[in-house]
Amino acid sequence: MRDPDALLEVRGLKKAFGGVVALRGIDLTLERRQIIGLVGDNGAGKSTLIKIISGVYPPDEGEIQYEGKPIRFSSPMEARGVGIETVYQHLALIPQMSILRNFFLGKEMLRRIGPFGFMDFNDMRGICKEALEGLGIRVRCLDEDVSFLSGGERQAVAIARALHFGAKLLILDEPTAALSVRETETVLNYIIEARNRGLAVIFITHSLHQVYPVADRLVILEHGRKIGDFKRDEVALEDLTGIIRGTQTKDSS
Amino acid sequence: MPKRNASSAEWQGVTLLGINRRTTLQQKEMGVLIATIATGILFTIFARNFISWANLVTVLTMASELGIVAIGMTFLLISGEIDLSVGSVFATIPLIMAMLFVYHGISEWIGMGIALLVAAGIGYLNGQITIGTGIPSFITTLGMMMFWRGIVLALTGGRPVAFFGRSTLLAILGGLLPGGVRAVSIWFVVLVFILWLVLEKMRYGNWVVATGGNKDIARELGVNVRKVKLINFTLTAVLAGFAGCIQFARLGSASPAYGEGLELEAIAASVIGGTSLVGGYGSILGTFLGALLMAIIRSGLVLAGAPAYWYRSFVGAIVIIAVIINRKLGSGGSQK
Repeated sequence: MRDPDALLEVRGLKKAFGGVVALRGIDLTLERRQIIGLVGDNGAGKSTLIKIISGVYPPDEGEIQYEGKPIRFSSPMEARGVGIETVYQHLALIPQMSILRNFFLGKEMLRRIGPFGFMDFNDMRGICKEALEGLGIRVRCLDEDVSFLSGGERQAVAIARALHFGAKLLILDEPTAALSVRETETVLNYIIEARNRGLAVIFITHSLHQVYPVADRLVILEHGRKIGDFKRDEVALEDLTGIIRGTQTKDSS
Repeated sequence: MPKRNASSAEWQGVTLLGINRRTTLQQKEMGVLIATIATGILFTIFARNFISWANLVTVLTMASELGIVAIGMTFLLISGEIDLSVGSVFATIPLIMAMLFVYHGISEWIGMGIALLVAAGIGYLNGQITIGTGIPSFITTLGMMMFWRGIVLALTGGRPVAFFGRSTLLAILGGLLPGGVRAVSIWFVVLVFILWLVLEKMRYGNWVVATGGNKDIARELGVNVRKVKLINFTLTAVLAGFAGCIQFARLGSASPAYGEGLELEAIAASVIGGTSLVGGYGSILGTFLGALLMAIIRSGLVLAGAPAYWYRSFVGAIVIIAVIINRKLGSGGSQK
């Protein structure tokens, strides 16, 4: 029986690069209106998994169902086209361009004058401001270059952009890794807001402590396998830490 | 990158975006504007007749042919590539036009059309080789610079092709207007306006900046990075060829020796104007002023009675000073 809330389901996902096995058969169901903390050490397979989901790599084996239909992406563009948006920590915005130009990059709004299309800055400005303010970001100047923004502010713009352009699944790669405590808190609020608007959010991190406060569910990967999948309310932080540490000591012995 | 002191000052669980740090002083073109005004004042004091209609017209004419090449170069630089073959293309294209027209009796309009198509082909080839093989455009176009120079020398035996008759097309390209203004100045100003419009106001300009800023992110967001670069390589070569045709129209002759060193002058004009050599940042108005500044130096030195040899030293110093000013103002020129 299929979960009616399921947005994306993967079954038996396997992927190897040359002789190195990155994923050894992953099953995962993502529901709408849910924040999933995807936790694991470097090399656990987190980034391979999300790169398959976001269309960067094809899987070697296994199937992906999105909105109830089997799907196979041949490019990240295709995944983005159906509403799967990935925000990489350092790869979301172009530093030398303004907030406004970044927000609409690749999706510029045009006003036609004869045969020529000119960017409609008035409309874009209004919409961009609205989208940012809807997320609780106050905007004074949209013409500032992104290079002047802090890491948290960049995340904020990228998240607002994903929300505005109709993302259904938002994948965030270590969104709070380089942020101060205060900024982390703010970005977590944006993530909660995205969830409240009905999105499925995958929050990738190697630190359980960063994601535990906001996650609805926690998925733990280790050496290409899923070793844990819990509702947050049903498991304590200490128990999860124990699970992760347990496997680590077993491996190292 | 400037410190973000108290920028998100009123912290109440909200981020405050945008401090409007970009004051008038931090416009991209500020460095070159200051340099141009300072140099202008210097020559007004030391050079007789510097501020005169005749000299201003001369300055604009001198700036124009270089400037048309440089605005194409600016587009290409912003998208993260470079073209060292513009000087050779500047010589090749008018020679093709002149040979078809003078030796083979083909209409000058068709001759120029064919020649500019060749220019487009040369630029497109630069792009295909660079993108297709992944070698730096510096290398591709360094090779092409030598290759095309060799071709025109071989084709002409090193001799210029001259034309002394009347031609409507040549008058349109390089003729003299009332008040001593050269048609080339009009072409330059019109092309600056068009390219400024494309870069600042149209979608394509956004894509050009994004491509040079970070091609991976740009591609992720749906920009066809490859196409943008190919278009810019083609545009640069066509503008270089067009500038060469204008020079042919003005002088009545095309020589295989023309345009040597032009690639470096075009890059200098772009960089003086605030354009970054590593891509992602630049200004057409800055390049316009950069070309103008170089012409001011050239004519000013002559009017001040200094030997013309000083020109290169002056321009060299200005390149360095202008980029330092740009950087001090934090407007991003030549920095990533």
